[in-house]
Amino acid sequence: MAQQNRLIEGGRIARDSVINFSYNGKTYPGFVGDTLASAMLANGIDVVGRSFKYSRPRGIVAAGAEEPNAIMQLGATEATQVPNVRATQQELFAGLVCQATNGWPNVEFDMMSSLGSVGASVMPPGFYYKTFMYPKSMWNTYEKFIRKAAGLGRSPLEADPDRYDHYNQHADVVIVGAGPAGLSAALEAGRSGARVIIADEQAEFGGALLHSKQSVNGMPAMAWVASVVAELAALDNVMMLPKSTVNGYHDHNFLTIHQRCTDHIADRAEANVSRQRMHRVRTKWVVLASGAHERPLVYGNNDVPGCMLADAVSTYINRYAVVPGKQLVLMTTNDGGYQAAFDWHQAGREVVAILDTRSYQGTETSAVIDRARELGIKVLTGSAVVEVQGSKRVSAVSIASLNSQGDQLTGPVSQLSCDTVASSGGWSPAIHLSCHTGSRPVWSDQVIGFIPGDTVQKQLIAGAIGGTFDLQSCLAQGTKAGAQAASNAGFDTNLDVAAATAESVAETTPMALFHIPHPKETSRAPKQFVDLQNDVTAAGIELATREGFESIEHVKRYTALGFGTDQGKLGNINGMAIAAKSMQKTIPQTGTTIFRPNYTPVTFGAIAGRNCGELFDPKRFSAMHQWHLDNGALFEDVGNWKRPWYFPQPGESMQQSLERECLAVRDSAGVLDASTLGKIDIQGPDAREFLGRVYTNAWAKLAVGKCRYGLMCGEDGMVFDDGVTACLADNHFVMTTTTGGAARVLEWLEIYQQTEWPELEVYFNTVTDHWSTITVTGPNARKILDEVVDDIDLSNDSFKYMDWKAATVMGVPARIFRISFTGELSYEINVQANYGMRIWEAVMEKGAAFNLTPYGTETMHILRAEKGFIIAGQDTDGSVHPYDLGMGWAVSQKKPFSFIGKRGMAREDCVKEDRKQLVGLMTAEPKKVIPEGSQAVDDPKQAIPMTMLGHVTSSYYSACLGHSIAMAYIRNGHKRMGETVYSPQADGSAIEATICSPIFLDPKGERQNV
Amino acid sequence: MSDSENNPAFNYAASVNCMDQRPAAQSQIEGLSPLHHADLATVAKAQLGQAGTIQLSELKLLGHIILRGNLDNPGFTSGVQLTLGMALPGTLQMVSDADISIRWISPDEWLVVVPGERSYEIEQALVNNLQGHCAVVNVSGGQTILRLEGEDVQKLLQKSVPLDVHPLSFPIGKVVTTVFAKTQAVISRTGNQQWELVIRRSFSDYVWLWLQDCSAEFKLVISE
Repeated sequence: MAQQNRLIEGGRIARDSVINFSYNGKTYPGFVGDTLASAMLANGIDVVGRSFKYSRPRGIVAAGAEEPNAIMQLGATEATQVPNVRATQQELFAGLVCQATNGWPNVEFDMMSSLGSVGASVMPPGFYYKTFMYPKSMWNTYEKFIRKAAGLGRSPLEADPDRYDHYNQHADVVIVGAGPAGLSAALEAGRSGARVIIADEQAEFGGALLHSKQSVNGMPAMAWVASVVAELAALDNVMMLPKSTVNGYHDHNFLTIHQRCTDHIADRAEANVSRQRMHRVRTKWVVLASGAHERPLVYGNNDVPGCMLADAVSTYINRYAVVPGKQLVLMTTNDGGYQAAFDWHQAGREVVAILDTRSYQGTETSAVIDRARELGIKVLTGSAVVEVQGSKRVSAVSIASLNSQGDQLTGPVSQLSCDTVASSGGWSPAIHLSCHTGSRPVWSDQVIGFIPGDTVQKQLIAGAIGGTFDLQSCLAQGTKAGAQAASNAGFDTNLDVAAATAESVAETTPMALFHIPHPKETSRAPKQFVDLQNDVTAAGIELATREGFESIEHVKRYTALGFGTDQGKLGNINGMAIAAKSMQKTIPQTGTTIFRPNYTPVTFGAIAGRNCGELFDPKRFSAMHQWHLDNGALFEDVGNWKRPWYFPQPGESMQQSLERECLAVRDSAGVLDASTLGKIDIQGPDAREFLGRVYTNAWAKLAVGKCRYGLMCGEDGMVFDDGVTACLADNHFVMTTTTGGAARVLEWLEIYQQTEWPELEVYFNTVTDHWSTITVTGPNARKILDEVVDDIDLSNDSFKYMDWKAATVMGVPARIFRISFTGELSYEINVQANYGMRIWEAVMEKGAAFNLTPYGTETMHILRAEKGFIIAGQDTDGSVHPYDLGMGWAVSQKKPFSFIGKRGMAREDCVKEDRKQLVGLMTAEPKKVIPEGSQAVDDPKQAIPMTMLGHVTSSYYSACLGHSIAMAYIRNGHKRMGETVYSPQADGSAIEATICSPIFLDPKGERQNV
Repeated sequence: MSDSENNPAFNYAASVNCMDQRPAAQSQIEGLSPLHHADLATVAKAQLGQAGTIQLSELKLLGHIILRGNLDNPGFTSGVQLTLGMALPGTLQMVSDADISIRWISPDEWLVVVPGERSYEIEQALVNNLQGHCAVVNVSGGQTILRLEGEDVQKLLQKSVPLDVHPLSFPIGKVVTTVFAKTQAVISRTGNQQWELVIRRSFSDYVWLWLQDCSAEFKLVISE
């Protein structure tokens, strides 16, 4: 029978909009306005999953974020799978497809029931640690089955087709929660003109008023809510975010709000519409009005479907017109719990009895007891449900009378027939966000719960989060907090403004009760669940304390209390109370665990936002990038830059391309896009002095028109960057850095100038993107330059190696640097980047006659290695100083001021004899290329662990030399020239090589000085 | 160490190399903006007459000159006033006059944007007119400007920039250098619904992709 539990009238549902959904492959009807949970209950679905450890059938317990059992796998297609969705928070839409998460092979048949029914002795807390970890080798086998049987949802196997994005927001006041307190706060803050954001996780604003029968300002509560929402909507300065969970409260009043934009509409969002949005909010003040979660009572078999929270029962009846059963037994420690029985009764179903755990003297009574008796409902005071009968649905309860402390049964056990047990143990303030900020919660005996403690944040609280549960006080606190927050943020408000009014009801003091005693001791009684999602029982917590876990944090980790996707919203306080009692301590003495973000699970999509796919990481391109693409370049990532790696021609292998490119450079000419190298413009009367302090070599006498290579070291004396700096004018230099090091070097210069040497007059500006750099290199480079340079003499006499000159290239003004990273005659043409592409094209055109060959970074690496030029970051690793590199010639120890790294490289360890030093290696077999990273040893036959000498940093086959070349660090290598070392390989072989100078080609530098 | 402000012999212009970086007027070589490959002109033609909630145009091939100097140095401030006919804007301010604008970048840094064909003339004038320790750096090839206009631009910026872009904290005339998505931009509000982004050449393709993606829920129209 469809929707057999649906009342014929009432509820905030659209009865004319019947929509179908599928649960575990079967189709059911529901209404627009339902949650998935209310629709399931309307259709009489009792079992919504199997429990984590014992595989016991579980039903819906709650109606909100605290639901531990109804955790669904959502999604009509593979790509739209969403795991671990709480049915109580998922709005129903036409075509929704879901499956129970916990319930392999299915919810009705349980593979692990044999384990579960045998009981606690088989699977005590710490069960996984104790049992399945040994033998360790078997864990991999067990784990697969246990994880699957336990079921925590699964991620989709296909890419998510939906769009998620981020939104930055700024506010004066952010209000968390749109119940009576939050709405009152928003109203006052909004009226002041402050920029207000009010967010609530539910589909509609109203909070607890959504299922309340109370009145505000003399009208039904939801009519008041509607009037407030209308007023807020008219205020431009107020942003209302329903369906939006404030999931994280971070430092400096930064909050993350997860908005579900289309999750209530369809399985997939429409094109270009974001399915979910993460608001990143920075606000001056925060008002937490996040309410409270009702606390269930702990009794035997309290997990059987049909056991629910009292307020959830009211919610389903009043908000969704769904009565989730036929015969109700209600157990409560407080007056508020009675409402569920009144609502049940009014819905026309049978209330079997109300069990009030409180003891009343003689004929003592209370307003709610009187009302219940007027309605003909049986009220048993000083009584409790000790145990439930039934497996897939409650069939009866065992009840007994209780002493006034609630720690002993005082009478015989009797039976009541029923199919639903509602319980209320009072309310636990939703202090999660307060905890995120590091505030320790404080126990209140009056509230019977933890409330937010002191905070360093600019934060106020209002309503149930502070333990205020009556409506009138919530309205008043909200109004006051809203006005106060706006005032604190600098807006004019009336701090004494009157709040909306509600009827105040006198209440009888609630009872602090968490765990209902059983005729048997806890360890032998039927399971009394504390944390339903993780199958943590009262017996398990008592066992943990007996095993010596005294810290509540240890109890939590040993038992897994509060570990689930619900973060223990229902079970934590009961668990702590049981642990405290077991250790004969008070709850404040035992303390509490605290919550961290996120309040409820957040999808990865919302976390990533648009930072995925092409936009995951910026790609930086030079002005000539299109040419590289058009000419078939493959690219290498260098920092964020895409640099041409090599330019394969049709049919070529990588090695063939590299050999062709290398030989072209050595035989005639090659061209490289060097635009990505960092370029820093340095100006000022003290520029030269500054260079002398950050580079290891001397700069005092570098003449205008000249270039010089420099090594940059950290304070520890270790090389971190290198490059050529040119003197453009007396006080004007341009420094080049490695491509990946550009930003770091600029920062390094700025830090030293600003913090250490502010007295030096010097300015640094990045010009990396401003200049395009075209390197023409090879014996025919001058001939090619002759073709494109309009106005200067390129002869070796007038334009020497390590000179730079201003020139005009094909009509465009340029600076040409005669520097070389290949060992060949080289010119680096720098033109403003807007002209880079056209000049590159012109150079290519004029160079064609000389077989001018474009080459990429891989060829560049081979060419420079043939010359023994290092690459900072490849041949250095932060542990080598210039002398290790054999580059002592680039260190000037005589500079008057010193330089960064001078003292560092003079440390005892840095000057010892047997440091690893950069050398060349030539393999005995010329074609054999030693893999980079390989170790070097003296004796390849030595037993492992061998004595390591060092490792290979760069290694290539040199087509030009006809043999392989390598650069390597070898202990004491500079004094071991000509000696043989071996490089053991993973396959057991060892490559024999001879130590040599790393300068394999043209050691006198004649090729670049022509 | 040096104290060039109080050193009458110090001559800034003589100590630096300032060169014309543009081809001669008769040259056939065209400059290509960082977004040349996106061919915005063709898109703009196709969208001619369409109204968007975000209108994007590139202010390309302008002269971009970075100024560094000390506000306490009258030889610097008055040199700027003399050359550009306006005073340096204060913290987080942008000023403009006819076709020249100055954006505050940091306490000792400003960006001067001038017509491309006048960039050398103005750079040279600045170099000649400034006194004391300062720096004038041509960065025209390294950046470009995007103008965004329309009712949804503020939302687009909210999706891209952590900073508050609400009119109360980002009024017309304000300029900031800040994070933009995963790169950076110099962002100024030039009208109630009009903004300008100065972006770096090498990141311009990323910004262009981001802007298109970000505008998917709005109506983006390219104009010349």
